[in-house]
Amino acid sequence: MPLLDRSEYYDLIRTTNWTPSYVSEDELYPEEMSGSRGIPMEKWESFDEPYKVAYGEYVATQREKDSGAYSVKAALERANFVDTADPGWISILKAHYGAISVPEYAAMTGEARMARFSKAPGNRNMAVFGMMDETRHGQIQLYFAHEHTRRSRQWDWAHKAMHANEWGALAARHFFDDMMMTRDAIAVSLMLTFAFETGFTNMQFLGLAADAAEAGDHTFANLISSVQTDEARHAQQGGPNLKILIENGRKDEAQKMIDVAFWRSWKLFSVLTGPMMDYYTPLESREQSFKEFMQEWIIGQFERQITDLGLDTPWYWDEFIRALDETHHGMHLGVWYWRPTVWWNPAAGVTPEDRDWLEEKYPGWNDTWGNLWDVIIENLVEGRPELTGPATLPMICNMSNIPIVGTPSNGWNVKDYPLVHNGRLYHFGSEPDRWVFEQDPERYQGHMNFIDRFLAGWIQPMDLMGGLQYMGLAPGEIGDDAHNYEWVSRYTPDVAGTAAG
Amino acid sequence: MTSAEAVSDGYKNNRVGPILRSGDVALAAVEAVEVDNPGRDVTVQDRAAYVRIECENECVLTRETMEEMLGRHFEMRELEINLSSFAGQIEMSEDRVRFYLNETV
Repeated sequence: MPLLDRSEYYDLIRTTNWTPSYVSEDELYPEEMSGSRGIPMEKWESFDEPYKVAYGEYVATQREKDSGAYSVKAALERANFVDTADPGWISILKAHYGAISVPEYAAMTGEARMARFSKAPGNRNMAVFGMMDETRHGQIQLYFAHEHTRRSRQWDWAHKAMHANEWGALAARHFFDDMMMTRDAIAVSLMLTFAFETGFTNMQFLGLAADAAEAGDHTFANLISSVQTDEARHAQQGGPNLKILIENGRKDEAQKMIDVAFWRSWKLFSVLTGPMMDYYTPLESREQSFKEFMQEWIIGQFERQITDLGLDTPWYWDEFIRALDETHHGMHLGVWYWRPTVWWNPAAGVTPEDRDWLEEKYPGWNDTWGNLWDVIIENLVEGRPELTGPATLPMICNMSNIPIVGTPSNGWNVKDYPLVHNGRLYHFGSEPDRWVFEQDPERYQGHMNFIDRFLAGWIQPMDLMGGLQYMGLAPGEIGDDAHNYEWVSRYTPDVAGTAAG
Repeated sequence: MTSAEAVSDGYKNNRVGPILRSGDVALAAVEAVEVDNPGRDVTVQDRAAYVRIECENECVLTRETMEEMLGRHFEMRELEINLSSFAGQIEMSEDRVRFYLNETV
């Protein structure tokens, strides 16, 4: 530990905007990487990070965090939680590690961009720690998943998913590439560290940790809540940049970046976190519903912070609130129906007790989503499982890269939001998805979603087996019902006391 | 059940404070926040893996009170090991951490 208190030397050591003599400022900080938007160098020097850490403190603190997480893992390894846990919970772990572990390295690249190219010295300083944080997150999550590869090849997708053309991985990569890999330093600070990390990662790393603790998975609860302590610190890079942007008349640009990142994050979490919380987590372990966690973390906490920093609620706020009762139910139904196309085993989560809970949390569930599950259940009860699997292609959104969904049955409102751009017809799952595309068509226009690739003939043979092969899903990896359809027996007529739909 | 309007207006609140991973530091912080914020109502939500501690408008946590509650030496930087998130803005020094909002709604 240093002899002086941090506050006595911090401002001095952070003053690193030296005047370059061998190159021009523009060569040192190219606009496309720095993103200073015409705001002069000295204005960026007012960046004052609210959560200050010096290098010595950082190393000491991170060492303690790691030793805590690794020792909990070591202590609980012999308890064999994974071998006795509910299969729905195991699916959460597989989906989480595949969707999150490797993208941590993408986040590291985003941090590196700020560390090198931000014109704000404090931003560069914090981003160095952020880089090391994200490296830690990549390593520790790959390591925790690795011990399970002897149990099933699906666990190997912790490493494999982001290197495969599986549709969910395509969606995640499209999102992470957009937020982290292809934006200037200032945009990264707003879209990645602020919108994504101050906001949405709390859902997956703290909300889900609550469910993990209830389910008895203390290794995972401890791991992900430890990861989030790094985020809580390095996510504080967006706020000071936001302040500088607003003070220099760039509020509209800042608002747009946050609105794009917020909507895109919401859609990703609707397919990832939503089904996990409301369907995969065993009923008795659900701390809150997905919607309630969204209310706690995103509306009550994150949106409050956005407005306190001088921005407005996004223009699509009413649509976002409405979609909280809808989108993730559609995503879940789609993922379960197309279950061979994912690297985990989706849990249906629709026993009579589950349905009572869903009806309580989402009034009208049985009259809409429930009616579709009734058809699936009837087919399974009557021995027609082939009618409960994919025979056709879903419509996939050209922004979120996940299915276009709406409320089915008696609440029918399913709708495509099309757009013709440069002669190509694009499909979107909502008005905000289409709006995001329209903000920067050049950025998005060339991307082919999974269905585009199928229709273009990239995937051969043009059937389910060709699709699975293209996605890299081999036998032993392709998903099936998490509980091997045991729950269907609750609906067979010869079992007493069941409610048939 | 909450109405759509109530959900939509959920951000119109003035709650600020730390969200800590469950454990001895969280338990100490629950007691310390009561001491360090006299006259303010403190709400505590225990969600198994984390504890949400909140006051209205402002919430202060000092190193001195944390040491008293933990019965050991405590450096403010150690809070980070358990500080998974926080509501409001943050201001961190060697002696205390403060959560606040620029404007009250």
